[in-house]
Amino acid sequence: MSNKAVVYINQFFGQIGGEEAADHEPEVRDGVAGAAQAIAPNFDGEVVKTVICGDNYMSSNQDKAVAKILGELEDVDFDIFFAGPAFQAGRYGNACGAIGQAVKEEFDVPVVSSMNIENPGVDMFKKHIYIFPGGHSAAKMRDDAKKMAEFGNKLLNEEGPFLAEEEGFYKRGIRHQYFLPDETPAADRAIDMLLKKLNGKEFKSELPIPEQDLVEIAPAIKDLSQAKIALVTSGGIVPVDNPDKIQSASATRWGKYNIAGEDKLKNRESNEYKTIHAGFDPAAADSDPNRVVPLDALYKYQQEGRIGEIHDYFYSTVGTGTTEGEAARMGREIAEELLDANVQAVILTST
Amino acid sequence: MVKEIERTGITVVQMANLIPVARTVGANRMVPTISIPYPLGDPKTSKEEQWEVRYHRVGVALDALETEIEEQTVFAV
Amino acid sequence: MKGVFILKLEIGNFHVEDIKFGDSTNFKDGILTINKDEALNVVKEDKHITDADIKIVKPGDQVRLVPVKEAIEPRYRMDEGPLFPGVTGNLQQVGDGMTMALKGTSVLVVGQHWGGFQDGLIDMAGEGAKYTYFSQLKNIVLVADTDEEFEKREQQKKNKALRWAGMRLAEYIGRTVSNQDPDEIEEYELGPITKRNSDLSELPGVVLVMQPQSQMEEDGYNDLNYGWDTNHMLPTLMHPNEVLDGAMISGSFMPCSSKWSTYDFQNFKLIKRLYEEHGETVNFLGVIMSNLNVALEQKERSAQFVANIAANLGAEAAIVAEEGYGNPDADYIACLVALEDAGVKTVGVSNEATGRDGASQPLVSLDPKADALVSTGNVSELIKLPPMDTVIGELEALARDGLSGGWEDDEELGSSVKEDGSIVMENNAMFCGDGIAGWSKKTMKEF
Repeated sequence: MSNKAVVYINQFFGQIGGEEAADHEPEVRDGVAGAAQAIAPNFDGEVVKTVICGDNYMSSNQDKAVAKILGELEDVDFDIFFAGPAFQAGRYGNACGAIGQAVKEEFDVPVVSSMNIENPGVDMFKKHIYIFPGGHSAAKMRDDAKKMAEFGNKLLNEEGPFLAEEEGFYKRGIRHQYFLPDETPAADRAIDMLLKKLNGKEFKSELPIPEQDLVEIAPAIKDLSQAKIALVTSGGIVPVDNPDKIQSASATRWGKYNIAGEDKLKNRESNEYKTIHAGFDPAAADSDPNRVVPLDALYKYQQEGRIGEIHDYFYSTVGTGTTEGEAARMGREIAEELLDANVQAVILTST
Repeated sequence: MVKEIERTGITVVQMANLIPVARTVGANRMVPTISIPYPLGDPKTSKEEQWEVRYHRVGVALDALETEIEEQTVFAV
Repeated sequence: MKGVFILKLEIGNFHVEDIKFGDSTNFKDGILTINKDEALNVVKEDKHITDADIKIVKPGDQVRLVPVKEAIEPRYRMDEGPLFPGVTGNLQQVGDGMTMALKGTSVLVVGQHWGGFQDGLIDMAGEGAKYTYFSQLKNIVLVADTDEEFEKREQQKKNKALRWAGMRLAEYIGRTVSNQDPDEIEEYELGPITKRNSDLSELPGVVLVMQPQSQMEEDGYNDLNYGWDTNHMLPTLMHPNEVLDGAMISGSFMPCSSKWSTYDFQNFKLIKRLYEEHGETVNFLGVIMSNLNVALEQKERSAQFVANIAANLGAEAAIVAEEGYGNPDADYIACLVALEDAGVKTVGVSNEATGRDGASQPLVSLDPKADALVSTGNVSELIKLPPMDTVIGELEALARDGLSGGWEDDEELGSSVKEDGSIVMENNAMFCGDGIAGWSKKTMKEF
C-alpha cells in the first residue's frame, strides 16, 4: 500500500500554453502530467492524478474552479496534495494556496507547496498549508519540487513532530508545546538568555512577538437616534439554566437571549441571568448582570431618544481560554445575525 | 469577535477593563470599564453610584460609535 | 558588625529512598515510616474533615490522582517555628537558620470527590507522567472529604480544610528529621545589598520578579505572603531565602498547569539557579514579590512599583515569572515593559495559551519590548491518556467539576472521562504542569 499523491500545477507547467492559456478550465489527468514529473521521482509513492488549471481561470472563478476540482477528487483515493512549486508567480501562488486550503479542509490530507518569499501567496496561505521557501523562477524547479516531495514523505511515513525551524517551511503561526530532547529546564534557559542579553550577545526568544493584524475601521454612525444597537458580551451572561450549554472556558458555543421590551436584566436570585465565565469571581455579575451587559443604561438612552432602538436579542459567550479561531467563527456567526436584523452598531462588553 | 463583527461594516465599540488586551485583539473603538468581575458597577459602592458609572460609560460608548477615528482609539471616561 | 541582619539559610536534606506504613512515624536510613492512624489524627484535628485516608504512591505506580489541590514538601524548622508563619502558626521571620527537609517526596492533597477549576491531575506512570513534576516523587497522598457544603458544587473552591490539613501533615512528617544529621546541607546567603564587596557589586545586579496569583477579591483563594493575601499587597522587596523557607503558600484559584504549589515555592528553581550564578556572573539582589490582581489600575500600579524598586536597587536585569495566563498576561507584559522603560533588561518566564489548534495569540497582551521570553508550555494542548489501574480521588471529577482542563461534553471529543477510564483533557489541568517556577522541560515551537 504505497502513498498516493495528487499534484496541482498551472497551465504553463501543465504544458497547455503560456499567458494565452491562462483561462484554461481545470482538468484532472491520470498519473503524472507536465511538471508533476519534478515531484514524482522524489516522492515515496505514486502520483495518481495531476490537476491542471489556468491561473486566470482560478483567480476569476475561484469558487467554481475549486468546486469542480473537489468534485473530481471526491472518488480519488489519495494521501497528500502537492501544489506548485509556484516560485515568484503571484497568481500561481494564490491558486496553489486557494486550492490547497480547500483540499485540506475537504479531504483532511496534508498539503505541501513551495513559493518564493516575495510571492503574495505566502502571507495569504502559510497559516493553512505547508509552504516551503522557493526560488525566483523555474530554474529552481528541481530543488523546490524535491523539497516538497521529501517533506511529503516525512509527513506520511514519520511520526513527527515537524517543527518549522527544523523542516524549513514558512512559520504557520501554529505553536504547540514541545518536550526538549535535551531536557534543559526553563530556569537554565532563562539564565542563559539573561546572560546573553546582559552581555550584548545574540539570543533567541522562545516567543517572538508576532505582527498585529487590524481590521478596517467601521464608519461612525451618522444619526444614533435612528440606529439599532445590539449588545454582545464575552462575559458569559446567560439564563440561569444555561440552555445553550455554553462552556465556562474554551467556549465554542454562543447564545442569543430575548430582551425585547425589557428595561434591565434580572439577576440570578430572580432566577433569570447569571454568569458562567470561569475566569473571575462571579458574585457581582450574578447579583446584577447589568454590570456586565448594561441593558438598563442602554434602555434609558433609548427612552431619551439618544438611540433608535435596542435589538431584541443580546449575544453571549465566554472569553477565557477561547481560541482565536473559535472566537472568530462565533463573531462571524453573530455578525451574520446582526446584519440580517439590520443592526448598525454594537456595544461589546468583555470581562 | 470584535474584529469579525467590525469586518462586516457594523460599527463596534469594545468596553473592556484590559485596554492593552482589547488593543492587541484589534478593537478600534475602546472604552475602559472599571474592573473585570464588575465592568460597570462596583458592588462596594451605592446603587446610585453604580448607576452613575454605568450610565456615564455607556454614554461614552455611544459617543465613540458616533465618532470618526483614524486609528485604534481609547475614549476617555 | 553588631546586630547586622543577615539571612543565612541552611536546608538540611534527607533523601527519602522509600516510604511505608508502620507502627511508628520515623525516618531512618532513608526509609520514612508513617503510623497511619497517628497521621490521620493530625489530619482530623480539623472537624471539617469528614473522611480521610493516606496512601503512598511512587514513580512507576499505575496510579492516576485527581483532583489534586496542593503539594507540600515535609520539613522541620530547627527553631521549632511553624513551617508557614502566619498560616500554620505565629508570624516569625524565615529564611534564616536551619530547616530540615525530606527530599524526593511531597505531601499531595487530593479531594475524595470534589474538584474545581483550580485542581489538577497527576499520572505516576505511563505517557501522562511527563506532564507534571510530581510523578518523579514518592508521594504521601492525603485523600479526604470535607463538610464545606457551601463550595461542594462550586467551580471555584477555597479548599481550605484540605490544604491546611496537608500543611499539618507536612509538619507532622517533617518532625521525623528534627533530630538527625542531614545527608547534605544547601546554603543560601546573600549579604545586605549595600554592604556587598566590590567583587559582587561589579557584577550586574539581577532581581527576580515573582507574580503570584491573586485574582480573587474574596479571602481564601489567593496565594499568601506570610499569611497575608497577595491581592492586598503592593510589590515589595523580599529575600529569596524567605520564599525558599515558607513565607509563601499556594492559593486555590489558578488553572492548574500555571499554578505554583507550595512545593514549587519551597523549591523555586529560578531562585536556586540565580543563587548558582551569584558571585560568578551576576549579583543576585533579591526578589521583588509582586502579584496578579484583576483591575487594570492595580496591574499598572504593581508594574510601576516593580520597575521603581528594581531601578532604585540599581538592578541591571530582571527575570519576571508569571503564575498564570489570561488576564494575568497583561501584568506580565506590563511589568516587562515598565522594567525595560526603566532601563532594566528583562527575561520573562511564562506559559502560553495558543488553543487546541495552536493558532491563537500566545499571550493576551503583547509588546515588542518583551523581546526575551522563555515559554514553558501550552495551556490548551490536547492530551489523550489511557486508563490507569488505580485512581486516587475521583476520575469523574475531571469531567464533572469544572477542572480547567476537563469538560463534561464537547461536540467533537465527548466527555473528558470515557467509560473505560481513558481521558481526554487539556494540559491546563496537569498539576503545576507548566513548571513556571523553572523546571519545565517543555518549550513552545512553531509547527
